[in-house]
Amino acid sequence: MTKTIKTRVERYNPDKDDAPYLQDFDVEYEPGMTVLDVLLFIQDRHDSSLAFRWECRGGQCGSCAVRVNGTARIACRTKVNPDEELLLQPLEKMPIIKDLVVDMAQVTFRIRRIRPYVARDKPPQRPEIIHSEEIEKLREIRKCIECSACLSNCPIVRETWAYPGPMIIRQIARLELDPRDVEDRVAMAINEAVYSCTTCKMCEDICPKSIPIPGLAVELLRAKAVEAGYQLSEGQQAFLDQVNKTGRSVPEKDTGLLHSLETEEFVVENPRGRVGFFTGCLIDYRMQSTGRALIEVLNRNGVDVIVPKEQWCCASPAFRTGDLTTAHAATERVTEIFEAAMEKYGFDTVVVACAGCGKTLTEDHRPYIEETRGTPPRFKVYDLSKYMIDVIGKENLVMPKGEINLRVTYHEPCHLGRGQGVYGEPIELLKMIPGIEYVEDPMKNRCCGAGGGVRAGNRELSQKIALTKKEYVLATGADMVTTECPFCTIQLKDMMNDTGMETRYIPDLLAESYRKGDEN
Amino acid sequence: MDELPYKTILCDVLIIGAGGAGCRAAIEASKHNLDVIMISKELVGKAHTAMAEGGYNVSLGNVDPEDDVDTHFKDTIVGGNYLNNQELVQILVENASERIFDLEEFGAVFDRTPEGKIAQRTFGKQSWRRTAYASDRTGSEIMVTLTEAIRKTSVRVFDEVFATRLVLNDGKISAVTAVDLKYGDYILFRPKAVVMATGGAGRIYKVTSNAQLDVGDGYGMAYEAGAELIDMEMIQFHPTGMCAPKSAVGRLVTEAVRGEGGILLNNKGERFMNKYYPAVMELAGRDQVARSIMTEVLEGRGSPNGGAYLSIAHIPHQIIEFRLESMIEQFEDAGVDIRNEPMEVSPTAHHFMGGIKIDTNAQSTIPGVFAAGECTGGVHGGNRLGGNALADTQVFGALSGENAAKYAKTNERPGVNRDEVQKEFAHLEAMLTRKEGISPSDARDELTTLMWEKVQIFRNEKDLAYAVKELRRIEKEVVPNIKVDVKEKRFNPGWHQAMEFEHMVKTARMVAEAALMRKGSRGAHYRVDADPNDKGYYNIIIRKGKDGEMELRKDDVVVTKVELP
Repeated sequence: MTKTIKTRVERYNPDKDDAPYLQDFDVEYEPGMTVLDVLLFIQDRHDSSLAFRWECRGGQCGSCAVRVNGTARIACRTKVNPDEELLLQPLEKMPIIKDLVVDMAQVTFRIRRIRPYVARDKPPQRPEIIHSEEIEKLREIRKCIECSACLSNCPIVRETWAYPGPMIIRQIARLELDPRDVEDRVAMAINEAVYSCTTCKMCEDICPKSIPIPGLAVELLRAKAVEAGYQLSEGQQAFLDQVNKTGRSVPEKDTGLLHSLETEEFVVENPRGRVGFFTGCLIDYRMQSTGRALIEVLNRNGVDVIVPKEQWCCASPAFRTGDLTTAHAATERVTEIFEAAMEKYGFDTVVVACAGCGKTLTEDHRPYIEETRGTPPRFKVYDLSKYMIDVIGKENLVMPKGEINLRVTYHEPCHLGRGQGVYGEPIELLKMIPGIEYVEDPMKNRCCGAGGGVRAGNRELSQKIALTKKEYVLATGADMVTTECPFCTIQLKDMMNDTGMETRYIPDLLAESYRKGDEN
Repeated sequence: MDELPYKTILCDVLIIGAGGAGCRAAIEASKHNLDVIMISKELVGKAHTAMAEGGYNVSLGNVDPEDDVDTHFKDTIVGGNYLNNQELVQILVENASERIFDLEEFGAVFDRTPEGKIAQRTFGKQSWRRTAYASDRTGSEIMVTLTEAIRKTSVRVFDEVFATRLVLNDGKISAVTAVDLKYGDYILFRPKAVVMATGGAGRIYKVTSNAQLDVGDGYGMAYEAGAELIDMEMIQFHPTGMCAPKSAVGRLVTEAVRGEGGILLNNKGERFMNKYYPAVMELAGRDQVARSIMTEVLEGRGSPNGGAYLSIAHIPHQIIEFRLESMIEQFEDAGVDIRNEPMEVSPTAHHFMGGIKIDTNAQSTIPGVFAAGECTGGVHGGNRLGGNALADTQVFGALSGENAAKYAKTNERPGVNRDEVQKEFAHLEAMLTRKEGISPSDARDELTTLMWEKVQIFRNEKDLAYAVKELRRIEKEVVPNIKVDVKEKRFNPGWHQAMEFEHMVKTARMVAEAALMRKGSRGAHYRVDADPNDKGYYNIIIRKGKDGEMELRKDDVVVTKVELP
């Protein structure tokens, strides 16, 4: 018997329907089937009037973007999972013409607004000499097929069309990178609200051509803006000044973790491993207990933890906002500190519990150091949950015994999931805790609005993104939302403040369960 | 009967189609201070041109300095089996360089030589490395560039608008009927000049590399309006299309794979091109490689999915990654890592060499109707060289745009026959109101299967006669009875298919009738029962006769420099 996939398709014909509705279809599954095949099957067998766009079926034309189970994808290159129901909806933000076909007029308007072509002040010589090096980056960013999928799930676009969205910011960067273009694209990027992006990387995840838009377009344009003398916002600049002055992005209020620890070495008997702990600014100065919890959790699992007293900010805020001078100085300093510590204490692995720091150490520091001195930093960087599940190994973990009877959901920090490829590990840790009922949030990977310098630079926008996020979190009906990023934690705490839903950091919760287990 | 409401839109030049040729024509026409409208069946930028992978032929001599315009000319004629219109080929080879520089001026980014010039690579049947490229997404690069360039012009773009008929007045173009696919409204365009840039019709075949929009709208419309078409029997089956999985069947595997050194193997691991074309091996003409693969398959040496193996695993990974990036992605989706494993490939309907007959001004036989790109015939003769199509779109796109503009400047707008317009809209409306009839998707299946089985790579009298008979029946019995299931006008793909079906049938019939008329083998037209006395150095011209019947005649090939053998 052929397997059938239950497919729910959003239908809407404004000529007769008051509102969109979902219609179910049974689709016969065939190995290798794509979402486009599913749509064609429905059109062919069930309803020839089902409206959707497609042309090339080869991922080259960019016509067939739809939302597949909530996330925009191009249909012809998205495989269907025969064991799952399929939900197909039109792209968000754009008015629906019919069913899955949306009106792109707003997108076209925004594209035209940026004068999206190579502007020249005089006709070129023929032939024009252009060297490969000049177009190397351009090549990558130019693969865009204008499918508009990235606009649909962009948390910024969702709140405001003042930001034209990843695809269009990418086009500005494409022109900025083109040695032939003479227009001031940096000024244009500022006008087009390039500082609105939280660098959540949803667009990069969605992009059928895997163009790293936040890195290659947004941060590039910001760096060019800083270079050109544009001022950062007061809030953003304050972080950077603090970093340059003290090595920390925030001022010390209560005694910091590093200042209060009595030793650098937290060792156990017969250790199975030894790691350095990169605290990051917020765990050091604002979440000291989380830092202690991390040390405790690792110790309880037989891992020596080395906490160098001298640490320095990873300069994530500088990378995100384009202050590369601060960013690169910090990169060198952090590398020096941890390479010295690994020599002194004999470890080769650094553990972080901050999504932003982890992402910055791996995605930003590593290539920069490799580029400047030829070899990358000598230490490996792991997020705590990844280290526990992958390196210690799930089967070797000491199970926490203290019951915590709560319904708990999880917010996936953008820079942990899409930033470092850590998706399921934090949830596995949560599920180890007795009593916890894990509640899946289908929108768990939606940005909280804090990152990319947006909370510091544009609080109003940041709040709007947070309010949307809040709705998703509340919809889970959980008692508590957990996460693995201090920045997300602060943002979540602010937004859940009036709801009674608690916000916790996963290491804290683990440590609590271990301690409770000791008492029994 | 009540008149159906429609909206009239006036302009100077109307471009039908927004692929490589259409956009280029629009850009050129807009330089003349005219009101130019470009209509596109799809969203702008999504045309099939974006699917072209390999490259753009131009004798720049950047890699092989010995190359020149004359050699490009000769290669094109020889490759085309001497059926090309040599006047048109001259235009192609002479202008290819200026047009690629135009693209660079617009912002295109082609791969470079170490000196910073446009890099060029090997393609089939060319004396020198002549094919300019941007990795293996050259068509996409050109389409993106043209989309950027169009946005700089004053061209009014109407996307998702479908032209159905050319309306003439006293033999000259006077209007074009169209449907706004988004909302289902009827539109009457009243241009002074028209450029047809409607692409090919690979979709009349069940297995094709073409996008869904390539159904032969231009051939059907031009024929119906009385224009002459040429070489319609000449269809290029690209030797390397994907054969699995089912949803990818027919998708193009670029010739660049062979250009970069890929080899073809049968199920015994033999490099079989050795047997057929030992001198050029995998880089024989596309028709030759396609027939070689099919011979292997028919004689039992094919791969499990009825094709051959194409392997590039012996080439260094970094070269594959840099020059064939889309292929890596395309086969990854099918679970094949081309850096280490062979691809399975078989022929797929790819390109129409034939089409609307044009003169050296890119004008069809109807005054005021110009044409460019794949919808025209004559440039490529009996077989098109890989890389010549993209050059064709730019050279003839620009030429047609320029001449359409000149025509529009020197001619008045003729009046329009409103009855004829109403008749066309009523005809489209009837597809929706008909109570009994045949569904467009069933009709389409029948047509594409018939063409794939009877008018394919290996042809014979019996199959062709059968196909012709069937197509005449379909035209008479099925076309007038096409019925759309759901009676909605707003974005209704069922209706879109129904409207296209008529163009498909007319196109298919022209292909089959011409193929039946040509008794010998020539170019892409291969008869297993070839008449040895029919050397085939002629072109078949088709037009709709005064009596409404299809008229075919043989014409001499236009020769300027290279004598026929």
